[in-house]
Amino acid sequence: MNALTVIKLALSAVVFVVFLVLWCRKRHDTLAESDPKKAKKKRRLPFFGMVISGWFFTATAVSLVVGGMKGISLELEMFSPRVQLGPLSVARTTLTAYALLLVIAVLCVLFRVFAYPKFKDEPKGLQNALEAAVEFIDKFTHDTAGDLSPELPAYMFCVAVLLIGCAASELLGQRPPTSDLLFTFTLALCTFFLLNYYGIRKKGLLGRVKSLASPSPMILPMRILSDVAAPVSLACRLFGNMLGGMIVMDLLKNSLGGYAVGVTSLAGLYFNLFHPLIQTYIFIILSLTFIREATE
Amino acid sequence: MTPFAAALALLPALGAGIMMGFATSKAVDATARQPEASGKINSILLLGLALAESTAIYSFVIALILAVK
Repeated sequence: MNALTVIKLALSAVVFVVFLVLWCRKRHDTLAESDPKKAKKKRRLPFFGMVISGWFFTATAVSLVVGGMKGISLELEMFSPRVQLGPLSVARTTLTAYALLLVIAVLCVLFRVFAYPKFKDEPKGLQNALEAAVEFIDKFTHDTAGDLSPELPAYMFCVAVLLIGCAASELLGQRPPTSDLLFTFTLALCTFFLLNYYGIRKKGLLGRVKSLASPSPMILPMRILSDVAAPVSLACRLFGNMLGGMIVMDLLKNSLGGYAVGVTSLAGLYFNLFHPLIQTYIFIILSLTFIREATE
Repeated sequence: MTPFAAALALLPALGAGIMMGFATSKAVDATARQPEASGKINSILLLGLALAESTAIYSFVIALILAVK
């Protein structure tokens, strides 16, 4: 504990108290004001000052405990570290994915046993939200890929839940399973399988080959190549996006050290919540578009 | 030399960024002209953005493969 830290702590504490007093006085003054919006506007400056100085105080105190600014010493890894489980060597992200699947399965069973029998004709609360979600994905699938089968929206809903769960696992300090190329490639291969399955089921094997060679047989290799490129592009997109988000968050945490208090939760709103949601949406809409292209 | 190669591999992100901006500006134009078609424009825009973004993502993945041991 050197002199500079003491000065920082004391100064930020003093500034915090000053802004707190200012805020309280402004609040007291503006309570009589008729327009609540105007009153809020007047209180804004001392409030922000209070938040910033409070953050600085906490961050300095935390970095005292942690050991100050660490500097960027990030060990980037394309693939996650591996764990030895008996004779098997398993990636840690795979374990996270299995744990996630277990959690989702348990939640499903609990839902089926406890919540589902209570459902009524008039939706309320949880039932309302679930019905809205199911209806949305149903309509979305029909609009994008056409009326193929009732299982397709269910599969897409499963993928959405899995991807959002993967993003949520990052909030618990785990490396998200979606930042593993093999995991995303597996999902993309499922899309590839579905694409061929629906294409062949709708048009027959000969019809599928014929539609691939539709303008002229010369173009057949190109079309096959573009079909094979679909899962690769899906997998790489998801993997790159998730790994990029994870790297940005890790950089923030590592480079700020103790000063990351509160900053990461603000940045995480984008990188751990909004970004995965957008990527889930894009993964699903692209899968459905590829499926529609194969069946048209 | 590898860091330079990784940095050069990130060049496609420039083109992807510019073109995504172009696409968004066109979508804004279209929505301003026909606000009732905004839902359809939105989904088409997102699809195009995702496809344009994949260029940048590929370059990012390649740069990572080059830079990370």
